[in-house]
Amino acid sequence: MSSLSASNKHITNELAVSIRGVGLTYTTSIDKKPTFKSRAKSLGRGKKQTRVVRALDDIDLDIKYGQVLGVIGTNGAGKSSLMRCVAGILPPSQGRIEVFGSVSTLLALGVGFNPSMSGRDNVFLGGLAAGMSREEIAGNFDEIAEFSELGDAIDAPMRTYSSGMYARLAFSVAAVVRPDILIIDEALSTGDAKFKEKSLNRVKELRSDDRALILVSHAMLTLRETCNDVAWLHKGKLVQRGEPNEVIDAYQKFLHLGKSAASDEDV
Amino acid sequence: MSTPLQVYEPFKAGLPKLGRYWKSLWSRRTFIKEYSKSELREQHFDSVFGQLWLVINPLLLSAVYFILIIIIGGATDSARYAHLTSSLFLFYLMANSLTGGVKSITAGQRLILNTAFPRIMLPISAVVIAIFKFLPTLLVFMVIKAIVGSPFTIEMLWAIPVLLITIFLALGLAITISCINVYFRDIASFLPYLTRTLLYLSPILYEASDLKPNLRVIEIINPLFPILDSWSRAMVQGEAPELSSMLQGLAWATVIFFVGTYFFLSREREFAVRL
Repeated sequence: MSSLSASNKHITNELAVSIRGVGLTYTTSIDKKPTFKSRAKSLGRGKKQTRVVRALDDIDLDIKYGQVLGVIGTNGAGKSSLMRCVAGILPPSQGRIEVFGSVSTLLALGVGFNPSMSGRDNVFLGGLAAGMSREEIAGNFDEIAEFSELGDAIDAPMRTYSSGMYARLAFSVAAVVRPDILIIDEALSTGDAKFKEKSLNRVKELRSDDRALILVSHAMLTLRETCNDVAWLHKGKLVQRGEPNEVIDAYQKFLHLGKSAASDEDV
Repeated sequence: MSTPLQVYEPFKAGLPKLGRYWKSLWSRRTFIKEYSKSELREQHFDSVFGQLWLVINPLLLSAVYFILIIIIGGATDSARYAHLTSSLFLFYLMANSLTGGVKSITAGQRLILNTAFPRIMLPISAVVIAIFKFLPTLLVFMVIKAIVGSPFTIEMLWAIPVLLITIFLALGLAITISCINVYFRDIASFLPYLTRTLLYLSPILYEASDLKPNLRVIEIINPLFPILDSWSRAMVQGEAPELSSMLQGLAWATVIFFVGTYFFLSREREFAVRL
Protein backbone atom coordinates (compact mmCIF):
# COMPACT_ATOMS: atom_id res chain seq x y z
CA MET A 1 0.00 0.00 0.00
CA SER A 2 2.75 2.42 -0.74
CA SER A 3 2.21 5.76 -2.29
CA LEU A 4 2.06 6.21 -6.02
CA SER A 5 4.34 9.15 -5.71
CA ALA A 6 7.29 6.99 -4.68
CA SER A 7 8.57 7.20 -8.20
CA ASN A 8 12.25 6.75 -8.61
CA LYS A 9 14.30 5.94 -11.68
CA HIS A 10 14.47 2.33 -12.71
CA ILE A 11 16.92 0.68 -14.99
CA THR A 12 15.86 -1.44 -17.93
CA ASN A 13 15.82 -5.16 -17.23
CA GLU A 14 15.70 -4.49 -13.54
CA LEU A 15 13.05 -6.61 -11.89
CA ALA A 16 9.69 -4.85 -11.51
CA VAL A 17 7.45 -7.62 -10.27
CA SER A 18 8.44 -11.06 -9.15
CA ILE A 19 5.70 -13.66 -8.84
CA ARG A 20 6.80 -16.91 -7.25
CA GLY A 21 4.59 -19.95 -6.98
CA VAL A 22 1.50 -17.87 -6.47
CA GLY A 23 -1.78 -19.62 -5.94
CA LEU A 24 -5.10 -18.06 -5.11
CA THR A 25 -8.08 -19.89 -3.77
CA TYR A 26 -11.06 -18.07 -2.53
CA THR A 27 -14.33 -18.91 -1.00
CA THR A 28 -17.31 -17.19 -2.45
CA SER A 29 -20.75 -17.46 -1.05
CA ILE A 30 -23.28 -19.28 -3.17
CA ASP A 31 -26.00 -16.80 -2.36
CA LYS A 32 -25.79 -13.59 -4.21
CA LYS A 33 -25.87 -11.70 -0.96
CA PRO A 34 -24.78 -13.34 2.25
CA THR A 35 -27.41 -12.61 4.85
CA PHE A 36 -28.08 -13.61 8.40
CA LYS A 37 -31.45 -14.91 7.25
CA SER A 38 -30.01 -17.33 4.72
CA ARG A 39 -27.39 -18.45 7.23
CA ALA A 40 -30.03 -19.10 9.85
CA LYS A 41 -32.29 -20.91 7.38
CA SER A 42 -29.65 -23.39 6.38
CA LEU A 43 -28.39 -23.88 9.93
CA GLY A 44 -28.17 -27.53 10.90
CA ARG A 45 -29.03 -28.75 7.44
CA GLY A 46 -25.42 -29.22 6.58
CA LYS A 47 -25.91 -27.21 3.42
CA LYS A 48 -22.74 -25.73 2.05
CA GLN A 49 -22.77 -21.97 2.11
CA THR A 50 -19.67 -21.36 0.10
CA ARG A 51 -17.90 -22.55 -2.98
CA VAL A 52 -14.14 -22.74 -3.24
CA VAL A 53 -12.73 -21.22 -6.39
CA ARG A 54 -9.19 -22.01 -7.43
CA ALA A 55 -8.36 -18.90 -9.40
CA LEU A 56 -4.58 -19.18 -9.67
CA ASP A 57 -2.39 -22.23 -9.47
CA ASP A 58 1.37 -22.04 -8.95
CA ILE A 59 2.16 -19.09 -11.19
CA ASP A 60 5.77 -18.05 -11.72
CA LEU A 61 6.26 -14.81 -13.59
CA ASP A 62 8.89 -12.11 -13.64
CA ILE A 63 8.21 -8.72 -15.09
CA LYS A 64 11.13 -6.44 -15.81
CA TYR A 65 11.29 -2.72 -16.39
CA GLY A 66 11.08 -1.86 -20.05
CA GLN A 67 8.76 -4.77 -20.67
CA VAL A 68 5.26 -4.48 -22.05
CA LEU A 69 3.59 -7.68 -21.00
CA GLY A 70 0.35 -8.76 -22.58
CA VAL A 71 -1.77 -11.17 -20.59
CA ILE A 72 -4.18 -13.33 -22.56
CA GLY A 73 -6.54 -16.14 -21.81
CA THR A 74 -10.17 -17.14 -21.96
CA ASN A 75 -12.75 -15.73 -19.56
CA GLY A 76 -12.14 -17.05 -16.09
CA ALA A 77 -8.51 -17.86 -16.77
CA GLY A 78 -7.42 -15.86 -13.74
CA LYS A 79 -6.09 -12.80 -15.52
CA SER A 80 -7.90 -10.26 -13.38
CA SER A 81 -7.19 -12.22 -10.20
CA LEU A 82 -3.47 -12.16 -11.00
CA MET A 83 -3.60 -8.42 -11.62
CA ARG A 84 -5.41 -7.85 -8.34
CA CYS A 85 -2.72 -9.86 -6.57
CA VAL A 86 0.05 -7.77 -8.11
CA ALA A 87 -1.81 -4.59 -7.15
CA GLY A 88 -2.10 -5.79 -3.56
CA ILE A 89 -5.88 -5.86 -3.61
CA LEU A 90 -6.10 -9.62 -3.08
CA PRO A 91 -3.51 -11.38 -0.97
CA PRO A 92 -2.32 -14.65 -2.55
CA SER A 93 -3.11 -17.94 -0.82
CA GLN A 94 0.28 -19.41 -1.65
CA GLY A 95 3.57 -18.09 -2.89
CA ARG A 96 5.05 -14.66 -2.80
CA ILE A 97 4.79 -11.51 -4.84
CA GLU A 98 7.44 -8.82 -4.69
CA VAL A 99 6.80 -5.47 -6.26
CA PHE A 100 9.70 -3.08 -6.90
CA GLY A 101 7.92 0.16 -7.67
CA SER A 102 4.67 2.02 -7.51
CA VAL A 103 1.68 0.33 -9.09
CA SER A 104 -1.32 2.00 -10.65
CA THR A 105 -4.20 -0.19 -11.59
CA LEU A 106 -6.82 0.27 -14.17
CA LEU A 107 -8.83 -2.82 -13.62
CA ALA A 108 -12.00 -3.67 -15.43
CA LEU A 109 -14.26 -1.73 -13.12
CA GLY A 110 -12.50 1.59 -13.44
CA VAL A 111 -12.54 4.54 -11.10
CA GLY A 112 -15.51 6.17 -9.53
CA PHE A 113 -16.87 4.44 -6.52
CA ASN A 114 -19.61 6.86 -5.67
CA PRO A 115 -21.88 7.38 -8.66
CA SER A 116 -23.75 10.26 -7.10
CA MET A 117 -20.58 12.32 -6.83
CA SER A 118 -19.11 14.23 -9.75
CA GLY A 119 -16.35 12.90 -11.95
CA ARG A 120 -14.02 15.46 -10.40
CA ASP A 121 -14.73 14.29 -6.84
CA ASN A 122 -14.30 10.68 -7.85
CA VAL A 123 -10.95 11.33 -9.49
CA PHE A 124 -9.71 13.11 -6.37
CA LEU A 125 -11.04 10.45 -4.01
CA GLY A 126 -9.68 7.60 -6.11
CA GLY A 127 -6.28 9.26 -6.25
CA LEU A 128 -6.21 10.00 -2.54
CA ALA A 129 -7.20 6.43 -1.73
CA ALA A 130 -4.37 5.22 -3.95
CA GLY A 131 -2.00 7.29 -1.83
CA MET A 132 -1.44 10.37 -3.93
CA SER A 133 -1.41 13.80 -2.37
CA ARG A 134 -4.06 16.40 -3.11
CA GLU A 135 -1.48 18.61 -4.80
CA GLU A 136 -0.33 15.81 -7.07
CA ILE A 137 -3.85 15.11 -8.23
CA ALA A 138 -4.62 18.80 -8.66
CA GLY A 139 -1.44 19.13 -10.72
CA ASN A 140 -2.54 16.32 -13.01
CA PHE A 141 -6.23 17.06 -13.03
CA ASP A 142 -6.37 19.37 -16.02
CA GLU A 143 -4.49 16.86 -18.11
CA ILE A 144 -6.83 14.08 -16.97
CA ALA A 145 -9.93 16.13 -17.78
CA GLU A 146 -8.54 17.12 -21.15
CA PHE A 147 -7.48 13.62 -22.08
CA SER A 148 -10.85 12.17 -21.16
CA GLU A 149 -12.62 14.73 -23.43
CA LEU A 150 -15.47 14.89 -20.96
CA GLY A 151 -15.74 18.68 -21.03
CA ASP A 152 -18.28 20.08 -18.60
CA ALA A 153 -19.49 16.58 -17.78
CA ILE A 154 -16.53 16.23 -15.41
CA ASP A 155 -18.58 18.13 -12.82
CA ALA A 156 -21.75 16.13 -13.40
CA PRO A 157 -22.58 13.17 -11.14
CA MET A 158 -21.06 9.98 -12.47
CA ARG A 159 -24.42 8.23 -12.54
CA THR A 160 -25.24 10.43 -15.53
CA TYR A 161 -22.23 9.08 -17.44
CA SER A 162 -22.46 6.60 -20.26
CA SER A 163 -20.31 3.49 -19.97
CA GLY A 164 -17.98 4.95 -22.57
CA MET A 165 -17.53 8.16 -20.59
CA TYR A 166 -16.87 6.08 -17.49
CA ALA A 167 -14.17 4.08 -19.19
CA ARG A 168 -12.62 7.17 -20.76
CA LEU A 169 -12.24 8.85 -17.40
CA ALA A 170 -10.82 5.69 -15.85
CA PHE A 171 -8.26 5.32 -18.59
CA SER A 172 -7.28 8.98 -18.41
CA VAL A 173 -6.57 8.75 -14.69
CA ALA A 174 -4.34 5.73 -15.05
CA ALA A 175 -2.56 7.05 -18.11
CA VAL A 176 -1.80 10.49 -16.73
CA VAL A 177 -0.57 9.40 -13.30
CA ARG A 178 2.60 7.81 -14.75
CA PRO A 179 3.34 5.09 -12.23
CA ASP A 180 6.36 2.77 -12.39
CA ILE A 181 4.13 -0.19 -13.10
CA LEU A 182 0.85 0.33 -14.92
CA ILE A 183 -1.76 -2.39 -15.11
CA ILE A 184 -4.49 -1.96 -17.69
CA ASP A 185 -7.20 -4.57 -17.48
CA GLU A 186 -9.47 -4.72 -20.51
CA ALA A 187 -9.84 -0.99 -20.65
CA LEU A 188 -8.28 -0.40 -24.02
CA SER A 189 -11.22 -1.69 -25.95
CA THR A 190 -13.71 0.77 -24.52
CA GLY A 191 -14.76 4.05 -25.98
CA ASP A 192 -15.30 4.92 -29.60
CA ALA A 193 -12.83 4.35 -32.41
CA LYS A 194 -11.27 7.76 -31.94
CA PHE A 195 -10.67 7.36 -28.24
CA LYS A 196 -9.47 3.82 -28.75
CA GLU A 197 -6.79 5.04 -31.08
CA LYS A 198 -5.90 7.85 -28.72
CA SER A 199 -5.55 5.51 -25.77
CA LEU A 200 -3.51 3.07 -27.81
CA ASN A 201 -1.16 5.87 -28.76
CA ARG A 202 -0.94 6.81 -25.14
CA VAL A 203 0.07 3.29 -24.18
CA LYS A 204 2.76 3.39 -26.86
CA GLU A 205 3.97 6.69 -25.41
CA LEU A 206 4.05 5.20 -21.94
CA ARG A 207 6.31 2.41 -23.12
CA SER A 208 9.62 3.43 -21.76
CA ASP A 209 12.71 1.83 -20.37
CA ASP A 210 11.97 2.73 -16.80
CA ARG A 211 8.39 1.56 -16.74
CA ALA A 212 6.65 -1.80 -16.83
CA LEU A 213 3.28 -2.11 -18.52
CA ILE A 214 0.89 -5.00 -18.10
CA LEU A 215 -1.98 -5.14 -20.56
CA VAL A 216 -4.84 -7.56 -20.13
CA SER A 217 -6.79 -7.71 -23.34
CA HIS A 218 -8.71 -9.82 -25.78
CA ALA A 219 -7.67 -7.55 -28.63
CA MET A 220 -4.92 -9.67 -30.14
CA LEU A 221 -3.96 -7.19 -32.82
CA THR A 222 -3.33 -4.52 -30.20
CA LEU A 223 -1.20 -6.91 -28.20
CA ARG A 224 0.80 -7.97 -31.26
CA GLU A 225 1.48 -4.32 -31.97
CA THR A 226 2.30 -3.02 -28.50
CA CYS A 227 3.74 -5.84 -26.43
CA ASN A 228 7.23 -7.26 -26.38
CA ASP A 229 6.21 -10.18 -24.21
CA VAL A 230 2.99 -12.16 -23.78
CA ALA A 231 1.83 -14.55 -21.07
CA TRP A 232 -1.04 -16.96 -21.67
CA LEU A 233 -3.07 -18.09 -18.71
CA HIS A 234 -5.54 -20.94 -18.75
CA LYS A 235 -7.64 -22.08 -15.79
CA GLY A 236 -5.30 -20.44 -13.32
CA LYS A 237 -2.12 -21.87 -14.82
CA LEU A 238 0.57 -20.23 -16.89
CA VAL A 239 0.53 -22.07 -20.23
CA GLN A 240 3.10 -20.23 -22.27
CA ARG A 241 5.15 -17.14 -22.13
CA GLY A 242 7.39 -15.52 -24.65
CA GLU A 243 7.51 -13.70 -27.96
CA PRO A 244 4.09 -12.12 -28.66
CA ASN A 245 3.39 -13.54 -32.12
CA GLU A 246 4.40 -17.02 -31.07
CA VAL A 247 2.26 -17.12 -27.94
CA ILE A 248 -0.74 -15.45 -29.55
CA ASP A 249 -0.59 -17.85 -32.50
CA ALA A 250 -0.53 -20.79 -30.12
CA TYR A 251 -3.41 -19.32 -28.14
CA GLN A 252 -5.49 -18.76 -31.24
CA LYS A 253 -4.74 -22.25 -32.46
CA PHE A 254 -5.86 -23.51 -29.09
CA LEU A 255 -9.11 -21.65 -29.49
CA HIS A 256 -9.54 -23.36 -32.90
CA LEU A 257 -9.97 -19.96 -34.35
CA GLY A 258 -7.01 -19.73 -36.61
CA LYS A 259 -6.01 -16.27 -37.59
CA SER A 260 -9.51 -15.13 -38.37
CA ALA A 261 -10.50 -11.51 -38.61
CA ALA A 262 -12.83 -11.81 -35.63
CA SER A 263 -10.10 -12.76 -33.17
CA ASP A 264 -7.64 -10.16 -34.33
CA GLU A 265 -9.99 -7.25 -34.24
CA ASP A 266 -10.28 -4.97 -31.26
CA VAL A 267 -13.60 -6.03 -29.91
CA MET B 1 18.88 -5.73 -6.80
CA SER B 2 16.95 -3.28 -4.68
CA THR B 3 14.67 -4.35 -1.91
CA PRO B 4 11.02 -4.77 -2.85
CA LEU B 5 8.68 -1.91 -2.04
CA GLN B 6 5.87 -4.28 -1.31
CA VAL B 7 5.66 -7.96 -0.61
CA TYR B 8 2.38 -9.81 -0.77
CA GLU B 9 2.23 -13.14 0.94
CA PRO B 10 -0.52 -15.44 2.09
CA PHE B 11 -2.14 -14.63 5.37
CA LYS B 12 -3.96 -16.65 7.90
CA ALA B 13 -6.43 -14.86 10.12
CA GLY B 14 -4.46 -12.31 12.05
CA LEU B 15 -3.46 -8.70 12.07
CA PRO B 16 -1.43 -7.02 9.37
CA LYS B 17 1.76 -5.26 10.44
CA LEU B 18 0.29 -2.47 12.52
CA GLY B 19 3.08 0.07 12.13
CA ARG B 20 2.96 -0.14 8.37
CA TYR B 21 -0.84 -0.12 8.38
CA TRP B 22 -0.92 3.00 10.50
CA LYS B 23 1.62 4.74 8.26
CA SER B 24 -0.42 3.87 5.22
CA LEU B 25 -3.58 5.11 6.93
CA TRP B 26 -1.97 8.32 8.14
CA SER B 27 -0.62 9.15 4.70
CA ARG B 28 -4.19 8.97 3.41
CA ARG B 29 -5.79 11.20 6.02
CA THR B 30 -6.68 13.73 3.32
CA PHE B 31 -8.89 11.06 1.77
CA ILE B 32 -10.98 10.96 4.93
CA LYS B 33 -11.27 14.74 4.92
CA GLU B 34 -12.10 15.02 1.23
CA TYR B 35 -14.48 12.08 1.31
CA SER B 36 -16.48 13.58 4.16
CA LYS B 37 -16.52 16.94 2.41
CA SER B 38 -17.74 15.47 -0.88
CA GLU B 39 -20.32 13.36 0.89
CA LEU B 40 -21.70 16.37 2.77
CA ARG B 41 -21.66 18.42 -0.41
CA GLU B 42 -23.53 15.68 -2.20
CA GLN B 43 -26.17 15.74 0.54
CA HIS B 44 -26.33 19.52 -0.05
CA PHE B 45 -25.02 20.48 3.36
CA ASP B 46 -22.86 23.14 1.78
CA SER B 47 -25.90 25.23 0.83
CA VAL B 48 -27.76 27.60 3.15
CA PHE B 49 -30.91 25.51 3.25
CA GLY B 50 -28.92 22.32 3.64
CA GLN B 51 -27.26 23.70 6.76
CA LEU B 52 -30.54 25.07 7.97
CA TRP B 53 -31.95 21.58 7.63
CA LEU B 54 -29.16 20.27 9.86
CA VAL B 55 -30.52 22.58 12.54
CA ILE B 56 -34.25 22.24 11.84
CA ASN B 57 -34.19 18.45 11.67
CA PRO B 58 -32.96 17.85 15.25
CA LEU B 59 -35.24 20.64 16.52
CA LEU B 60 -38.27 18.95 14.95
CA LEU B 61 -37.14 15.62 16.33
CA SER B 62 -36.81 17.00 19.84
CA ALA B 63 -40.22 18.69 19.50
CA VAL B 64 -41.82 15.38 18.51
CA TYR B 65 -40.23 13.55 21.41
CA PHE B 66 -41.19 16.34 23.79
CA ILE B 67 -44.83 15.85 22.77
CA LEU B 68 -44.37 12.17 23.53
CA ILE B 69 -43.01 12.98 26.99
CA ILE B 70 -46.00 15.25 27.70
CA ILE B 71 -48.44 12.52 26.65
CA ILE B 72 -46.84 9.72 28.67
CA GLY B 73 -46.74 12.12 31.62
CA GLY B 74 -43.09 12.81 32.28
CA ALA B 75 -41.73 16.05 33.66
CA THR B 76 -42.34 18.80 31.13
CA ASP B 77 -40.37 21.72 32.49
CA SER B 78 -37.79 23.62 30.50
CA ALA B 79 -34.89 21.76 32.12
CA ARG B 80 -36.33 18.53 30.80
CA TYR B 81 -36.50 19.99 27.31
CA ALA B 82 -32.83 21.01 27.57
CA HIS B 83 -31.96 17.49 28.73
CA LEU B 84 -33.94 15.97 25.86
CA THR B 85 -32.30 18.10 23.16
CA SER B 86 -28.72 17.73 24.40
CA SER B 87 -29.03 13.95 24.81
CA LEU B 88 -30.87 13.48 21.55
CA PHE B 89 -28.25 15.41 19.60
CA LEU B 90 -25.42 13.34 21.07
CA PHE B 91 -27.39 10.17 20.46
CA TYR B 92 -27.73 11.10 16.80
CA LEU B 93 -23.97 11.44 16.54
CA MET B 94 -23.79 7.74 17.38
CA ALA B 95 -26.84 6.74 15.34
CA ASN B 96 -25.49 8.57 12.28
CA SER B 97 -22.12 6.86 12.71
CA LEU B 98 -23.90 3.52 12.72
CA THR B 99 -26.13 4.20 9.72
CA GLY B 100 -23.24 5.73 7.80
CA GLY B 101 -20.82 3.02 8.85
CA VAL B 102 -22.97 0.00 8.11
CA LYS B 103 -22.85 0.41 4.34
CA SER B 104 -19.46 2.09 4.11
CA ILE B 105 -17.66 -1.06 2.99
CA THR B 106 -20.34 -2.46 0.71
CA ALA B 107 -20.89 0.94 -0.92
CA GLY B 108 -17.16 1.36 -1.48
CA GLN B 109 -17.10 -1.79 -3.58
CA ARG B 110 -15.69 -0.19 -6.71
CA LEU B 111 -12.87 1.42 -4.82
CA ILE B 112 -12.07 -1.74 -2.85
CA LEU B 113 -11.94 -3.89 -5.99
CA ASN B 114 -9.62 -1.49 -7.76
CA THR B 115 -7.33 0.10 -5.23
CA ALA B 116 -5.19 -1.15 -2.40
CA PHE B 117 -5.73 1.05 0.65
CA PRO B 118 -6.51 0.56 4.34
CA ARG B 119 -10.21 -0.33 4.24
CA ILE B 120 -10.73 1.08 7.71
CA MET B 121 -10.71 4.56 6.13
CA LEU B 122 -14.28 4.02 4.98
CA PRO B 123 -15.98 3.53 8.40
CA ILE B 124 -13.74 6.26 9.85
CA SER B 125 -15.03 8.63 7.17
CA ALA B 126 -18.60 7.73 8.14
CA VAL B 127 -17.89 8.84 11.71
CA VAL B 128 -16.25 12.07 10.53
CA ILE B 129 -19.39 12.83 8.50
CA ALA B 130 -21.52 12.19 11.58
CA ILE B 131 -19.33 14.60 13.58
CA PHE B 132 -19.76 17.30 10.95
CA LYS B 133 -23.51 16.85 11.16
CA PHE B 134 -23.34 17.00 14.96
CA LEU B 135 -21.43 20.28 15.29
CA PRO B 136 -24.23 22.67 14.23
CA THR B 137 -26.64 20.96 16.63
CA LEU B 138 -24.22 21.73 19.45
CA LEU B 139 -24.67 25.40 18.63
CA VAL B 140 -28.45 24.99 18.60
CA PHE B 141 -28.28 23.42 22.03
CA MET B 142 -26.29 26.35 23.42
CA VAL B 143 -29.01 28.72 22.21
CA ILE B 144 -31.73 26.55 23.79
CA LYS B 145 -29.73 26.41 27.01
CA ALA B 146 -29.46 30.19 27.11
CA ILE B 147 -33.19 30.59 26.45
CA VAL B 148 -34.33 28.18 29.18
CA GLY B 149 -31.85 29.85 31.53
CA SER B 150 -29.88 26.82 32.59
CA PRO B 151 -26.53 27.74 34.15
CA PHE B 152 -23.29 28.06 32.19
CA THR B 153 -20.53 26.81 34.48
CA ILE B 154 -16.89 25.87 34.31
CA GLU B 155 -17.92 22.25 34.96
CA MET B 156 -19.48 22.20 31.51
CA LEU B 157 -15.96 21.59 30.22
CA TRP B 158 -16.43 18.01 31.40
CA ALA B 159 -18.48 17.63 28.25
CA ILE B 160 -15.26 17.62 26.23
CA PRO B 161 -13.89 14.30 27.56
CA VAL B 162 -17.40 12.88 27.38
CA LEU B 163 -17.61 13.87 23.72
CA LEU B 164 -14.23 12.28 23.05
CA ILE B 165 -15.40 9.03 24.64
CA THR B 166 -18.53 9.23 22.49
CA ILE B 167 -16.50 9.62 19.30
CA PHE B 168 -14.27 6.73 20.37
CA LEU B 169 -17.34 4.56 20.91
CA ALA B 170 -18.90 5.73 17.63
CA LEU B 171 -15.70 4.72 15.80
CA GLY B 172 -15.78 1.30 17.40
CA LEU B 173 -19.44 0.83 16.52
CA ALA B 174 -19.01 1.98 12.90
CA ILE B 175 -15.96 -0.23 12.32
CA THR B 176 -17.66 -3.27 13.86
CA ILE B 177 -20.94 -2.91 12.02
CA SER B 178 -19.32 -2.17 8.63
CA CYS B 179 -17.39 -5.43 8.96
CA ILE B 180 -20.44 -7.44 10.04
CA ASN B 181 -22.40 -6.07 7.08
CA VAL B 182 -19.93 -7.65 4.63
CA TYR B 183 -20.88 -11.09 5.93
CA PHE B 184 -24.51 -10.47 6.83
CA ARG B 185 -26.02 -7.96 4.44
CA ASP B 186 -29.37 -7.87 6.22
CA ILE B 187 -27.80 -6.12 9.22
CA ALA B 188 -28.43 -2.87 7.36
CA SER B 189 -32.20 -3.46 7.33
CA PHE B 190 -32.12 -4.55 10.96
CA LEU B 191 -30.22 -1.45 12.04
CA PRO B 192 -33.18 0.99 12.38
CA TYR B 193 -34.69 -1.33 15.02
CA LEU B 194 -31.38 -1.53 16.82
CA THR B 195 -30.93 2.24 16.98
CA ARG B 196 -34.55 2.73 18.01
CA THR B 197 -34.08 0.21 20.84
CA LEU B 198 -30.88 1.94 21.93
CA LEU B 199 -32.75 5.25 21.95
CA TYR B 200 -35.34 3.93 24.38
CA LEU B 201 -32.76 2.16 26.53
CA SER B 202 -30.80 5.39 26.95
CA PRO B 203 -31.58 8.25 29.33
CA ILE B 204 -32.92 10.59 26.66
CA LEU B 205 -36.71 10.64 27.00
CA TYR B 206 -36.21 10.16 30.73
CA GLU B 207 -33.43 10.98 33.15
CA ALA B 208 -31.04 8.39 34.47
CA SER B 209 -32.33 8.93 38.01
CA ASP B 210 -35.94 8.21 36.87
CA LEU B 211 -35.11 4.62 36.13
CA LYS B 212 -37.05 2.07 38.23
CA PRO B 213 -34.74 -0.02 40.45
CA ASN B 214 -35.78 -3.25 38.72
CA LEU B 215 -34.66 -1.80 35.38
CA ARG B 216 -31.21 -0.79 36.63
CA VAL B 217 -29.71 -3.57 34.55
CA ILE B 218 -30.12 -1.30 31.49
CA GLU B 219 -27.46 0.97 32.96
CA ILE B 220 -24.98 -1.88 32.81
CA ILE B 221 -25.82 -3.47 29.47
CA ASN B 222 -26.27 -0.31 27.40
CA PRO B 223 -22.89 1.18 26.43
CA LEU B 224 -24.55 4.51 25.66
CA PHE B 225 -26.17 4.86 29.07
CA PRO B 226 -23.25 6.12 31.19
CA ILE B 227 -22.05 8.41 28.39
CA LEU B 228 -25.42 10.08 27.83
CA ASP B 229 -25.92 10.46 31.58
CA SER B 230 -22.51 12.14 31.98
CA TRP B 231 -23.19 14.35 28.96
CA SER B 232 -26.51 15.58 30.36
CA ARG B 233 -24.99 16.27 33.78
CA ALA B 234 -22.21 18.36 32.29
CA MET B 235 -24.16 20.12 29.55
CA VAL B 236 -27.57 20.66 31.17
CA GLN B 237 -26.98 20.74 34.90
CA GLY B 238 -23.51 22.19 34.54
CA GLU B 239 -21.98 19.89 37.12
CA ALA B 240 -19.16 17.38 37.03
CA PRO B 241 -20.33 13.92 35.94
CA GLU B 242 -19.63 10.92 38.13
CA LEU B 243 -16.20 9.54 37.48
CA SER B 244 -17.51 5.98 37.60
CA SER B 245 -19.97 6.69 34.76
CA MET B 246 -17.25 8.15 32.61
CA LEU B 247 -14.93 5.23 33.30
CA GLN B 248 -17.73 2.79 32.53
CA GLY B 249 -18.36 4.56 29.21
CA LEU B 250 -14.66 4.56 28.42
CA ALA B 251 -14.42 0.87 29.22
CA TRP B 252 -17.29 0.07 26.87
CA ALA B 253 -15.80 2.22 24.12
CA THR B 254 -12.36 0.63 24.52
CA VAL B 255 -13.69 -2.92 24.40
CA ILE B 256 -15.94 -2.28 21.38
CA PHE B 257 -13.23 -0.35 19.54
CA PHE B 258 -10.49 -2.93 19.99
CA VAL B 259 -12.64 -6.01 19.41
CA GLY B 260 -14.24 -4.42 16.32
CA THR B 261 -10.93 -3.19 14.96
CA TYR B 262 -9.31 -6.58 15.51
CA PHE B 263 -12.03 -8.29 13.50
CA PHE B 264 -11.93 -5.64 10.84
CA LEU B 265 -8.17 -5.71 10.37
CA SER B 266 -7.93 -9.48 10.34
CA ARG B 267 -10.78 -9.71 7.82
CA GLU B 268 -10.28 -6.72 5.58
CA ARG B 269 -7.92 -8.43 3.13
CA GLU B 270 -10.76 -10.76 2.33
CA PHE B 271 -13.32 -8.03 1.62
CA ALA B 272 -12.42 -7.83 -2.07
CA VAL B 273 -13.67 -11.37 -2.71
CA ARG B 274 -16.65 -11.01 -0.41
CA LEU B 275 -18.18 -8.04 -2.17
